[in-house]
Amino acid sequence: MKKFVAVLITLCLMLAVSSALADKLTVSAWDAAFNGSALQAAADDYKANVDPDFELEINIVSGSSDVENDMTLAGSSGDYSNLSDIVLFQDHFIQRYVADYPDCWVSLDDAGINWDDFGAEKLSYSTVDGVHYGVPVDNGTAIMAYRVDLLEQCGYTVADMTGITWDKFLEVGKEVYAKTGKALLSMDGSGNDLPYIMLQAEGKSQFKDGKPYITENEDLVKIIKVICEMAKEHVLILANDWTGYVNETVLQDQVAGVMNGNWMIPSMSLVTENSGKWEITTLPTLDGHEGYAANGGSSLYITANCKNLELAKKFLAYTFGGSTETYDNALRKGGVIGCCISAAQSGVYQEGVPFFNGQAIYSKIVEMGAHVPIVEQNDYHYTCRGYIGNAIQEVLMGGDVETALKTAEDQLLFAMGL
Amino acid sequence: MNKKKGFGLLAKQRASGWAFLTPAALLLFLTSFYPMVQAFITSLKTGSSARLKWSEPLFNNYTRMLKDTVFKTSMGNTFLYLIIQVPIMLILAILLAQLLNNKDLKFRGLFRTLIFLPCATSLVSYALIFKTLFAREGLINAMLLSLGIIKENVNWLGTPGTAKAVIIIAMLWRWTGYNMVFYLAGLQNIEYSVYEAANIDGANGWKTFWNVTVPLLRPVIVMTAIMSINGTLQLFDESVNLTAGGPSNTTITMSHYIYNNSLGSGVANFGYASAMSFVVFILVAVLALINMKVGDTRD
Repeated sequence: MKKFVAVLITLCLMLAVSSALADKLTVSAWDAAFNGSALQAAADDYKANVDPDFELEINIVSGSSDVENDMTLAGSSGDYSNLSDIVLFQDHFIQRYVADYPDCWVSLDDAGINWDDFGAEKLSYSTVDGVHYGVPVDNGTAIMAYRVDLLEQCGYTVADMTGITWDKFLEVGKEVYAKTGKALLSMDGSGNDLPYIMLQAEGKSQFKDGKPYITENEDLVKIIKVICEMAKEHVLILANDWTGYVNETVLQDQVAGVMNGNWMIPSMSLVTENSGKWEITTLPTLDGHEGYAANGGSSLYITANCKNLELAKKFLAYTFGGSTETYDNALRKGGVIGCCISAAQSGVYQEGVPFFNGQAIYSKIVEMGAHVPIVEQNDYHYTCRGYIGNAIQEVLMGGDVETALKTAEDQLLFAMGL
Repeated sequence: MNKKKGFGLLAKQRASGWAFLTPAALLLFLTSFYPMVQAFITSLKTGSSARLKWSEPLFNNYTRMLKDTVFKTSMGNTFLYLIIQVPIMLILAILLAQLLNNKDLKFRGLFRTLIFLPCATSLVSYALIFKTLFAREGLINAMLLSLGIIKENVNWLGTPGTAKAVIIIAMLWRWTGYNMVFYLAGLQNIEYSVYEAANIDGANGWKTFWNVTVPLLRPVIVMTAIMSINGTLQLFDESVNLTAGGPSNTTITMSHYIYNNSLGSGVANFGYASAMSFVVFILVAVLALINMKVGDTRD
């Protein structure tokens, strides 16, 4: 028995020593083709140029909510042992998770990263009380993409559609629907991203001083009216859920326009027969200035379970902290557009993209990203988004805008415990 | 005299009875009762799940529920599913069981298997299949369109009324066969001579069914009713996977809303979620109790 225990202890020690010796890290991400590719690019870069023994194990989970649930469970139980060393985390959720589970995260202030090399809007998510927790990965800058050929049939060009009002957009949309049978826009109707994107383009938020800013927010009320009008006029298809949005409206070629975070581009590009027919531009706004917004980017965070903090920090600082090789390959292989300003100077970002009619969309997106206004964020971002999405559905089912928004505001106030 | 020996026969039997009961009772306590007590304690707390603190006042999570419109909607939805789906399902199940209990029916085994088969599919996958069937560009719309019954694609899952109907239809498909098997087993315990006697007394099929079969099946009916009520009150997979609670939370169930408050949307309000699950627990217990009192006619 004693012998057995001794052998066991030796084995454990050996395992512990060997795993500590190996330069190995684990990371969780949710999209093998997109952010998984970016992480692989970073791992290859670090292995080739810094540490030949480096190894990165990439855990692909089925969705970003899996990572969120992992953190909730680990944080609630105080047992971090099942977490990956590094996790990719959605920008809109991180503030709340750092507030709720402060012990889950590790400060990156001493990682030696030049923070000035990233856009301020992007960093505003991963910085909590002045402490940097995350290294930005993908840039959520919103694009407005149009089908050039379909616009042409109605006598418009992308230049005509740049810097326009939503009323003009609606008018063109009606023509496009009448002539081509396609909608100029589509969105997931249940977790509707449109109000947030459109409102950010106005420089406003659904929150003001930590409180919901909905019924009093004239721009938001106008935006909801525009959205409902577009939906009624077949200019906008609101799908029942996210899968319906991507699979039915975008992949089944029912739309002549797409507006969302630029991470939609890999999905759009799957419709190969439309290659060369798309171009991107800035967003319409209520008064017709060129709109800039961002939606749904993510960043990398070190968790409390990371045993080799030094390596994790060095890895993140070297790769996503500004390595051109990482960013170039992340873009080439995964279509991931980074937020690092100096890395975007590289040649790959300047290349024309055949799917987008040869337009150099990557440098354009990085440039647009620099204009995105910082708007007030809140821990209840997605809760708010859900309730406003519900309000839109209520209006479309015959409700009245003011009442529906009042309900949304009341429900949000209730959820926030205010 | 016997007492001096320590254990009498009765005491020995009693002891062995306890010995057999203890492991199961302990497991039940550990896996069911202990969590229930913990859930109740959590339901009195509030704040981030990493640092829960007692809520102020203590029953705040419970009083909060009264003001929660979404919780009320979810409760209304759950009871709607319960009131419509459970009776239809149980009546269908008992009729199917009666049909398939016929000794002269050919391919009985095949039919029974086919009707029971939906139970072998996982809840998530069957919900996803129904979602595909009833999608805007789905099979049902294509069929109805080509038959000329509808003029344009119906957004089944995007309209509150039809979305609820789809959930009920899906549940009927999934659970009728399951309940039928219990009735079949119950029917097999009824002596054939009872039916012969009824036949001689001049009872027709319908009368036999109501006056012989149903009373003799009563214990099975009570059991299936309790199980179905319990299952429907905890309905989760269909709401999450078929409609995601939408449109605008009009099809959300209580369990789904509880999940949304604990995991899923980053809110992690475990105190409030526990309070709501405790309410569901009490509802299930009360309904089961009523059912047992009504159904049990032994004394």
